[in-house]
Amino acid sequence: MIKVNNRPIEWQEGMTIKKLINSLKYSYPVLIVTINGEHIPREKYEEAAVADGDDVKIIHPIAGG
Amino acid sequence: MQFVDKNEELCTKCHLCEDVCAAAINKSDDREKSAIRIDDGKNIGIINVCNQCGECIEVCSEQAIFKATNGVILINKSKCIGCLVCVGYCPSLSMIFHEEISVPFKCIACGKCTKECPTEAIYLKEIINEGQVAAGVVE
Amino acid sequence: MSCVLTAEKVQKLKAARKVLKEIKYEPAKLEKGYANKTLYINLSDNSIVSKDVTEKMKDVFIGGKGFGLWYLWNAVAPSTKWNDPENEIVISPGPVGGITQYPGAGKSLVVSLSPTTGSVVDSNVGGHFGPLLKFSGWDALEIQGKADQEVIVFIDGNKGTISIEEAPLEAVDTHLIIEELTEMYAESEEDKRNISVVSSGTAAQNSLIGLLNFSFYDKRRKSPRVKQAGRGGIGTVFRDKNIKAVVVKFNGVKGDLNNPVDLKKIQELGIKLHKEIHDFDAIQTQKREVGTANLVEIMNDYDLLPVNNFKYGYHPETWKIDSKQIKKKVTQNMPDGCWYGCSMACAKAVDGFELKTGPYKGHKVLIDGPEYETVAAVGSNLGIFDLEHILECNFYCDTYGVDTISLGTTTAFLMECYESNILNKEITGGLELTFGNKDAAMELLHQMSRGEGFSKIAGQGVRKIKELLVKEYGADSHFLNDIGMENKGMEYSQYISKESLAQQGGYAMTNKGPQHDEAWLIFMDMVNNQIPSFEDKAEALHYFPMFRTWFGLMGLCKLPWNDIEPADNRQTSEPAKVPEHVQNYVELFNSVTGKTIDKKELIVQSERVYNFQRIFNIKMGFGQSLHDNPPYRSVGPVTVEEYLSRQDRYDQQMKELIGVDPEGKTIEEKMQITRKYREDQYDELRQTVYKRRGWTENGIPTLEHIKNLGIDFPEVVEVLKKHL
Repeated sequence: MIKVNNRPIEWQEGMTIKKLINSLKYSYPVLIVTINGEHIPREKYEEAAVADGDDVKIIHPIAGG
Repeated sequence: MQFVDKNEELCTKCHLCEDVCAAAINKSDDREKSAIRIDDGKNIGIINVCNQCGECIEVCSEQAIFKATNGVILINKSKCIGCLVCVGYCPSLSMIFHEEISVPFKCIACGKCTKECPTEAIYLKEIINEGQVAAGVVE
Repeated sequence: MSCVLTAEKVQKLKAARKVLKEIKYEPAKLEKGYANKTLYINLSDNSIVSKDVTEKMKDVFIGGKGFGLWYLWNAVAPSTKWNDPENEIVISPGPVGGITQYPGAGKSLVVSLSPTTGSVVDSNVGGHFGPLLKFSGWDALEIQGKADQEVIVFIDGNKGTISIEEAPLEAVDTHLIIEELTEMYAESEEDKRNISVVSSGTAAQNSLIGLLNFSFYDKRRKSPRVKQAGRGGIGTVFRDKNIKAVVVKFNGVKGDLNNPVDLKKIQELGIKLHKEIHDFDAIQTQKREVGTANLVEIMNDYDLLPVNNFKYGYHPETWKIDSKQIKKKVTQNMPDGCWYGCSMACAKAVDGFELKTGPYKGHKVLIDGPEYETVAAVGSNLGIFDLEHILECNFYCDTYGVDTISLGTTTAFLMECYESNILNKEITGGLELTFGNKDAAMELLHQMSRGEGFSKIAGQGVRKIKELLVKEYGADSHFLNDIGMENKGMEYSQYISKESLAQQGGYAMTNKGPQHDEAWLIFMDMVNNQIPSFEDKAEALHYFPMFRTWFGLMGLCKLPWNDIEPADNRQTSEPAKVPEHVQNYVELFNSVTGKTIDKKELIVQSERVYNFQRIFNIKMGFGQSLHDNPPYRSVGPVTVEEYLSRQDRYDQQMKELIGVDPEGKTIEEKMQITRKYREDQYDELRQTVYKRRGWTENGIPTLEHIKNLGIDFPEVVEVLKKHL
């Protein structure tokens, strides 16, 4: 189990930020991603591995409307 | 078209070009009123001067910026309302603004500074470059 | 345009004019952002009066919407109705309005009593009118009374003249009259930029959801264009007063006309933001390329795009109306701002669009937009995924003077009523109002222009239609109240709020009605989970409405605040507030006015006006807890099909959040459990928000709170005391 934005999500073998974003259908072009507080730049999404128990934040900086 | 080209390796930062330019275009001895700038800390090389790329023409809502027949980009001062969008939008930060001058100003490729430069670090160049053709600046 | 406006035609229009009143005045020179004069016009007796702006007005109400609320408060009694001559339309730009260096500084704020809510409403709009009005020497324009004949008000800020003229021949529809008046008052092509027209349209007078158009001259397209003060039916008030147009002319816009105390600072701030937009807009919200329309696909992806009267948040055909398609229609590479110096440039236009229906069929027209709200309102929310239809509808809404949001939400409601057999062809006069029927939706709009048929009912807005359907046709009022997306009599704007409790409050705990200009918290709440507790949400529902209110006091646009962000914004402690831009605004205000506010005082400035507006609502018989009840459609699933469409989500929430096992329960039981939970959540949020805002459990500002804010005027206290 991992946490994404403080909500529990089932962890899966081989999980990366890229896979996580895809499975959550987060299509917003500009995301702010951290794993256990550490910032992950956009070009690292594919290689950034998510381990079981990680605290992931995927923040959408959109305050539209 | 002609523009002021540069060879930064030759620049000795004597700032003479700034003095010449400020006097020529703004009748001032204040280097801050020069359209050519030497090492002004904006991290775009030592010599900052307009390359007449023309990107400012499109962003001007008042159509105050235009290309003269010799390819140099000029500002019609009476049309300018001082919004400064062109200053923020200049890719080389060569559109200059000074609080005591009501409208932005820029290099008009008059060449006066090039004549005074002791090391030929700046010189007038006549050219059609591909980027400008692609941008539709050159007719 | 296919009908060319000839000089002869303009001459004929002019010849039919009869000047009812003309005065001369000395245009005031602006001082620190203010003209210190406001203009009062009464159309019943044609009086034209110059009023002084007091220091107290500036301290407490600042300008813009604040001035509008104060003048209207003094003009109306609790018994005043929207169509009484006492009702006013007040237009005011605010002290920062009209600066040309910082993006988004050309807004006007319009205040009036609303035909659909019965209470006070404010609407903000771009275009050139507000700043040109101020440069002509007026911080606000107050129009009261009713003309006997169709009139035009003309203000010449250079000559210093104001006239009220009978105008029998001018068109009513906006795209025609703005062209007529721009031609008439401009002395040359060059001069056209100096003219701004406020107008409405034929459907505004036949419905209650009329809007005002504010024009500006597009120098590149060589045509006047319009921005809309859409919400609250102020266009209907305008037409009820027999006004065809209000025109201002001012030649000589320059960057220093506000006479600010520190022009240099304003210039620095402006250049900094222009540069930010230059560097980051293309990788952030792409306002320059697509305007607000990029939200279409984002909302669809996150199940937030209203489909079929807010039942669903997603539709597989959304790609047909998303920003990629819209981009193919709007002309690119134009400095498309609606006021000088706006490099955000979200205004967009479709050139040479050939109309396929209605009285202007075959004409090639210029269409402003489409904005996200319009695409959702007259598109997805009606089950219509046809961009050509949306553009056509956008054009006709603007020229007929109808708010696309209210029209869309109302039509969506009618379509659901039709599909639920509450309406039928007999009642609609043959219109088959099923979801997706674009011909019927378009015909309803054309009827509204003609004042015919079923549009006479449709044009009343959701609240009044609900009452009528219950009374005349015995419809089930509970069901209608659940699906009718209105609160306080205003139709919801276009976001699904079911999965964001904070946004449910952001809609229904507003002053004027469910409009997202007070708070837009969906992503912060639902997706980012940054405000999990009731206290967090309440804090957001205090801060953001107050902060956003401030734009309306200044004459500023909200977009350059958070639709562009500095590079390091993400590293700040509160990125949602965009702290650097908040500081820009503090400095902008101080640099114009010479005052010395900080970011805390900025919020207090808003709190004064926000609480005053709440009390204004109370004066008019609204503004209490019960008026902050949302329709259940905005909170949770009303119908079985709606529950089933998101069954997994609702079942999971039942298990995890409510602690009830959905196993073995009927859909009806599950819907009831879900509803009870969600409504309780809303009630708890409401109490937490009221407390944070300094209000009683019934939503009334306490005497102590208004004393602290310094708005405890005797007449304010008198209104409050009846409810405390």
